[in-house]
Amino acid sequence: MPTPAIETTELTRRYGARVAVDALNLRVERGEIFGFLGPNGAGKTTTIAMLLNLVRPSHGQALVLGCDVQREPARALAHVGAMIEAPAFYPYLSGYDNLRVLCKAGGLPEPRIEQTLAAVELRKRAHDKVQVYSQGMRQRLALAAALLPDPELIILDEPTNGLDPAGTAEIRGLIRDLAAGGRTIFLCSHMLHEVEQLCERVAILKQGRLIAEGRVADLLHHHQGLRLRIEGDLAPAEALLRSLPWVQAVSQVHGQLMVDAPPERAAELNGHLARAGILVAELTIQAASLEDFFLEVTAEEERKNR
Amino acid sequence: MLRNLFAAEWLKLYRRPLAWGLLAIFLGLMLLSQGLWALVLALHIGAVGGLELQALAPAQVEQLKLQLSFPGVFGAVLGQLNGTGGILAIILAAGALGSDYSWGTMRTLLARAPARGSYLAAKTLALLLALLLATLIALLVGSLVAFIVSVWLDLPLRIRFSDLALLPLGIARALLVILPYLLATLACAAWGRSALAGMGGGLIFLALDVGAGSLSSLGLVNELVLFMINLLLQPNITTLVVLNGQLFGLDPSLLTSALDLAYLPSPLQAIFVVLIYSSSFGYVAWRTLARRDVSGQQ
Repeated sequence: MPTPAIETTELTRRYGARVAVDALNLRVERGEIFGFLGPNGAGKTTTIAMLLNLVRPSHGQALVLGCDVQREPARALAHVGAMIEAPAFYPYLSGYDNLRVLCKAGGLPEPRIEQTLAAVELRKRAHDKVQVYSQGMRQRLALAAALLPDPELIILDEPTNGLDPAGTAEIRGLIRDLAAGGRTIFLCSHMLHEVEQLCERVAILKQGRLIAEGRVADLLHHHQGLRLRIEGDLAPAEALLRSLPWVQAVSQVHGQLMVDAPPERAAELNGHLARAGILVAELTIQAASLEDFFLEVTAEEERKNR
Repeated sequence: MLRNLFAAEWLKLYRRPLAWGLLAIFLGLMLLSQGLWALVLALHIGAVGGLELQALAPAQVEQLKLQLSFPGVFGAVLGQLNGTGGILAIILAAGALGSDYSWGTMRTLLARAPARGSYLAAKTLALLLALLLATLIALLVGSLVAFIVSVWLDLPLRIRFSDLALLPLGIARALLVILPYLLATLACAAWGRSALAGMGGGLIFLALDVGAGSLSSLGLVNELVLFMINLLLQPNITTLVVLNGQLFGLDPSLLTSALDLAYLPSPLQAIFVVLIYSSSFGYVAWRTLARRDVSGQQ
């Protein structure tokens, strides 16, 4: 059985009294696209920096492609491509020369530069100085840099930041292509719609702690609700629904009832209302988006911490 | 790994406008001082429209003649490299390491090649190579000026092979003199994770060290005090600079009245002490870089 692409055990980073990452246990399997989410300051970038041996953990261990990042950084990171925080380049060098620096440093063959520039569609401007690049072009160049070592694992921190919608779609396509080639993608992004479209599994971090993890489909399934349109007064229906033990919450939204209940009990719910003489004009399963889920779990965590 | 990183560092350094700008400043200052020496000499020997200046003693005039002709010009250029060149080397070193922090390029680079010791060694070697090339260019430019001045002021114009053969020793000594300041600067830049910290730390250290050099007069008190003072960096640096001047027939004490050669440490001690200081600063730089986080909160 192959080792996971990323495995962290009790990974912790403290800055004085503040805990940036708190005993994080994470497992990313090879070949999957994994979304790593969290609000600003949640500890995502610190986690990525620890995975890349840029920040030392205060406690715990990080294994990347089966190797301990602390003990064998060169081996662990040999097949990792990363795009960390904002794109960082030498402004006085061209995009091409910036990639040459990375090729030389990593002992990589320089013909890879042309291939990666072509992959991110930056060949035409490759010989311009980076200081004249737009944010989107820098973003593409950072992605090209991440692809240079032909990596098995690609760690991407906000890869579509600063890109226009067309550019975002292109990068999304590129990420899919990379994953289709068997690579593991560890994607950190605030664009939840993008993560929902791309990722098979996600983890959500809040104040350094893992508050949710799992397959996107499973997480969203548990957060699906029912929407009912009832002609006339909603109050009797609301009271009835609240009395059902498997209904967790009922709320009125734009003259309709939103019911937090398992979607598979929709028919049963309709039956209860019909027997009480309340006719349902429309009943739909309200699919939850990753954004809804994210906002809900982070808000819930906030409430718990108060 | 070291070879790869050195190639990367060299590419970054030789394409960096700051490096060429600092070289241009150094050459400009060198030409200015050589020009002023030539003018002073010309005034002393009445070569400027009949004007005559008598401010220097005959031995000092002879010294100026030596500095402006072969082979003394080599000693003069190497001396300047250890003066103003040292300050510019500090700025270059601070920029080379500190910018990697401030631009964020260090995290990209170390995520690719995570051996931090090799990264620091490669950077130091690339800086030394840049200084070596700058020295060769300065020697060429200085020689050109010496040629022109020699023709203008009718100074002896002869370059002997034996003088040229001494150049590698002189250059090696000049680079050794810069090495501790360079490594102290890298240590400060790694500690403060910025070019500003490197530059500030390097220049403050240089200023303090030069200030401590003035303590050498306390060596008159007794042998023990002299021994202690000569363990500071500056007297040992002075020994190496004086040796470089003497290598090409110059006597720096003639133009610097405060310099008393009798109290300077021996050449062997000078090399040893400078190497000890350099190793200590190099170790601190490596230790700081290896233990500190590259990104995130300090």
